[in-house]
Amino acid sequence: MTTHKNAAFECSFEAESGIATLLLAMEGKTNKVDRTFAEGLVDAIAWAKSQAGLKGVILGTAHKNFCVGADIDSLYPMRDPQATFDYVKGLNGIFRSLETMGVPVVGALTGSALGGGYELALATHRRFAIDDPGVQIGLPEVSLGVIPGAGGTQRLPRIVGVQKALEHITQGQPVRAPKAKQLGMVDELFPDRDTLYAAAKAWILANPKAKQPWDDKGFKFPAPAPTSQDARNIFMVACAMLYKKVGNTMPQVEAAICAIQEGSVLEFERGLEVESRWFVKCAISDTSKDMIRTFWYHRNAALKAEGLPALGAGEDMGIQKVTILGAGMMGAGLAFICADKGLTVVLKDINEAQLAAGRKHCEAELAKKKHLSAEARASLLGRITFTLETAPIAGSDLIIEAVVENDEVKHAVTRELEPLLSARGIWASNTSAIPITHLAKASAKTDRFIGLHFFSPVEVMPLLEIIRGEATSDETVARCLAFTKLLGKVPIVVNDGYGFFTSRVFGTYLMEAVQLVAEGHDPVLVEQAAKQVGMVVPPLKVFDEVTLKLGHHGILQRERYLGQNVSDIPGVKLLKTLVEQHQRLGKAHGAGFYDYPQAGAGERRIWPGLAALVAAKPAKTGIAYIADRLMYIQVLEVARCLEEGILRDKRDAEVGAIFGIGFAPSSGGPLAWMDRRGVANVVAKLDAFAAEDPASAASARWKAPELLRKMAAAGGENGRFWPRA
Amino acid sequence: MTAYIYDAVRTPRGRGKSNGSLYVVRPVDLLARCLEAVRDRNHIDTAYVDDVVMGCVTQSGDQGQCIARTAALVAGYDLDAPGVTLNRFCGSGLEAVNHAAAMVASGFHDLVVAGGVESMSRVEMGSDGGAMMDPQTELLLNTVPQGISADLIATIRGFSRDDVDRFALESQRRATNSWEHRFFDRSVIPVKDQSGLVILDKDEHVRPDTTLEGLGKLKPAFEMLGKNFALDDLAKKTYPEVEHIRHVHHAGNSSGIVDGAAAVLVGSKAAGERFGMRPRAIVKSVALAGADPIIMLTGPLPATRKALAKVGMEIGDIDHFEVNEAFASVPLMFMQEFGVDHAKVNPEGGAIALGHPLGATGAMLLGTALDALERKGQSTALITLCIGGGMGIATIIERV
Repeated sequence: MTTHKNAAFECSFEAESGIATLLLAMEGKTNKVDRTFAEGLVDAIAWAKSQAGLKGVILGTAHKNFCVGADIDSLYPMRDPQATFDYVKGLNGIFRSLETMGVPVVGALTGSALGGGYELALATHRRFAIDDPGVQIGLPEVSLGVIPGAGGTQRLPRIVGVQKALEHITQGQPVRAPKAKQLGMVDELFPDRDTLYAAAKAWILANPKAKQPWDDKGFKFPAPAPTSQDARNIFMVACAMLYKKVGNTMPQVEAAICAIQEGSVLEFERGLEVESRWFVKCAISDTSKDMIRTFWYHRNAALKAEGLPALGAGEDMGIQKVTILGAGMMGAGLAFICADKGLTVVLKDINEAQLAAGRKHCEAELAKKKHLSAEARASLLGRITFTLETAPIAGSDLIIEAVVENDEVKHAVTRELEPLLSARGIWASNTSAIPITHLAKASAKTDRFIGLHFFSPVEVMPLLEIIRGEATSDETVARCLAFTKLLGKVPIVVNDGYGFFTSRVFGTYLMEAVQLVAEGHDPVLVEQAAKQVGMVVPPLKVFDEVTLKLGHHGILQRERYLGQNVSDIPGVKLLKTLVEQHQRLGKAHGAGFYDYPQAGAGERRIWPGLAALVAAKPAKTGIAYIADRLMYIQVLEVARCLEEGILRDKRDAEVGAIFGIGFAPSSGGPLAWMDRRGVANVVAKLDAFAAEDPASAASARWKAPELLRKMAAAGGENGRFWPRA
Repeated sequence: MTAYIYDAVRTPRGRGKSNGSLYVVRPVDLLARCLEAVRDRNHIDTAYVDDVVMGCVTQSGDQGQCIARTAALVAGYDLDAPGVTLNRFCGSGLEAVNHAAAMVASGFHDLVVAGGVESMSRVEMGSDGGAMMDPQTELLLNTVPQGISADLIATIRGFSRDDVDRFALESQRRATNSWEHRFFDRSVIPVKDQSGLVILDKDEHVRPDTTLEGLGKLKPAFEMLGKNFALDDLAKKTYPEVEHIRHVHHAGNSSGIVDGAAAVLVGSKAAGERFGMRPRAIVKSVALAGADPIIMLTGPLPATRKALAKVGMEIGDIDHFEVNEAFASVPLMFMQEFGVDHAKVNPEGGAIALGHPLGATGAMLLGTALDALERKGQSTALITLCIGGGMGIATIIERV
């Protein structure tokens, strides 16, 4: 056995079999695509080729993962088009030399292969993976504002066809190994590393003339041929579906579609060039910088709870038994995700029917977990005690209260059940708005009283907004952060105040939509405008889903807590009229801003009666104007939360807005959104809105906070929330 | 100088599918038969033909390689008669006539055979590729399939399913009536085989037995595409005030897919005198216009306004309108916009009943209008078609 090593690869050559094994073994246990990787690969290929009697190569990993993709630290600063182009061109040349080195090359995916890592695997002749759902495969580049730049948009369609490649690349969602096999993204699965390597050797020896399909003279694209009418339709629909989903706010996904289509009709190597040109356009763009900052740096920092109270080394979070009070959709969902993570759960309600509905919800969720064995399912459900009694709660380490949004009820429940907590037990309220310090008035242990604001549907929504009351201790926060980590949620930790952070900002979004409608702007345009600026949910539709009843309740509650009278604001008036006089209570009640026909009887339509309740169409309207109103009102509220200290970290503004309330993801969040426009311009716009707002006198709705004015005055780097990337 | 129309002929229109009579006939032969007829009926010496200008939309396969020149050679035209094939989508046939008229009116040419051909059964629409809907262009322009554009027109202009179905029914009734009364006799030339056996001598897409009830049962053709594949949403980017697109068009109220060819003989006064031909009409005005490519089919409106304005005419000066029935909402839009009586629009039936052989239709409509003017003793006709990519074309002819 001959061996060789460089900064990225551990290489060995077995003379008897003629097989060289090149294992990615980069420093820090993570293999990623950067210059060290590229140089290492060039060297490893050259070394393998220099071995006498070389019959084939196995490309694998010495670490847990195969390769997790581009090194983001090198990608983030790229702004120069020529340098970026040269970089990917170089990388493509190396990958090309791997697949044309003259002997069979097998990719041994014993761990996850993502982004550039999977592109490396695509440049081998055969991809073998471990049959383990923990092994993730795929091309998630678009989630960071870029496209695959090392051949992914060219090789994948030539292997699995344009339809599957388009879906995978534009969605940017890695898949588990079994699914990858099903899609044709890997060729075969093996139970473990040994069988995989044995099979790789056997395959090399059995296929001495292996080459890439596109290097074969008779190469035929998997159907449909890229120039066929079918393919043309697929591409057209891909464009339309993308627009339907995110408007034109995701230029990188558009670039991916173009790269796939335009490259697929060319000779392979020139297809790579087309991809490189699209990659560069995306990689140097503001969108990718803003998305990388939030979806990579901020999100990772939040997941690691950087800058937040932490448990001592080796200290346990001390949460084993959790009680959820209230078996509504949120309570039941919470019970399910806690049980799924191995916690002992009590789901308590006072209403038998509600409890039964909660059980049903859990069972329905369980049915979605297709990869679980029968025993795992039984034990998951077995960990949840569904009860109407209080006795089973005794000894809970955490009680999450998810009862109705009423402080008196919440106080009463706290007084009754807090004594049942274990010695170090934590009481958490899942309130979406009521100040935690106020709720803690009913508590005997306010240092262990906290707000855990989950988002619905809790099985899907990634964010957890943690609210510190005045007396909440660091230890309680640290333990709740550990709990967050266990649940796999992304945490933000904010200070107390009515509506905290997310509900405040989301509330402005919904109420601005209502305000616009009240002013006479076309509700259909309001919904369209929100989509066109990339908001994940249209405001009137989601208001109907949240229910107008709840919004109405929120307004009254807000007036009560803040002592503000907002009843003169046209939007508030309209909401009150809808709820109080027209019984337009929301989707669940069959009537909100929309009419909801019986299933199968057509689409929801804006309620025709709305027109009679609003002002005449204003002179100044249209998509662009409405979109501005919807966005500026939100970023304004975010700035206020920052100024008031509700937000203790700018990171949480971006993470909370994007993962909690669906703020336009491609913007990178509300602060990046302001940076992109220039804070001085934002202030000028806010002042302009204030000047024209009919409700301005009553509420000072558009008053720009001093924080923004100071930044605008400062200009330069001090006039930005984030340093220019 | 004035451009005169001396003659207009066309083949019957065969169903544009493999069960259509003309499926077995090469498109070049359809066109050559028209060229022969124009030559033989008018006793022209084709050595004097300055050009053969033909519209053809899908110029690939059987229709590739400049079919105008090939057809001229196949028809035995003098070698000195050249040929050019042009593509202005559905306006191609009329564009060819306008082009011929322009060359004659300018004095550059004396005698031109214009027209067009399309065998939709043999050369599938869209099979020539193109950049109009590739992702990069699509993302820039946001165009949608034209059926959705037609539905968008119906939505914006308030045409109900009943409106478009009634229009379609009337088109069928009129076309049936035209055949019963032999209105097309002067123009239609039978298509025959090698032995002289008649393959088709009548438009075969017409359905005299059409009923409103029957039309009402047809499923909207573009609803699935629009709703399930987000193309409605894409259209709403440009038309955001439209909450839902009303899908009203289907195979029964849209133009028929057919095969056919047509030729129009256009020449100067001197050319007519040379061959002893009596001019039938003059080409009085021609116009082109562009409109939004998403709603796509509104081009006839600006094109008509332009054509009228150029010669100081008003809509009321026109006796006869041919507004191509690409979809029922197009002529309905035309009538609504200009306040024109339905009796004057497509009185002989339109493409919903007779079919729309893309590259040939404009020339066919011109012939139909000319025949009708003569039969009724009327003077002026305006022919207009909506065109892919958001264009419109219009021609005004006047009898002499």
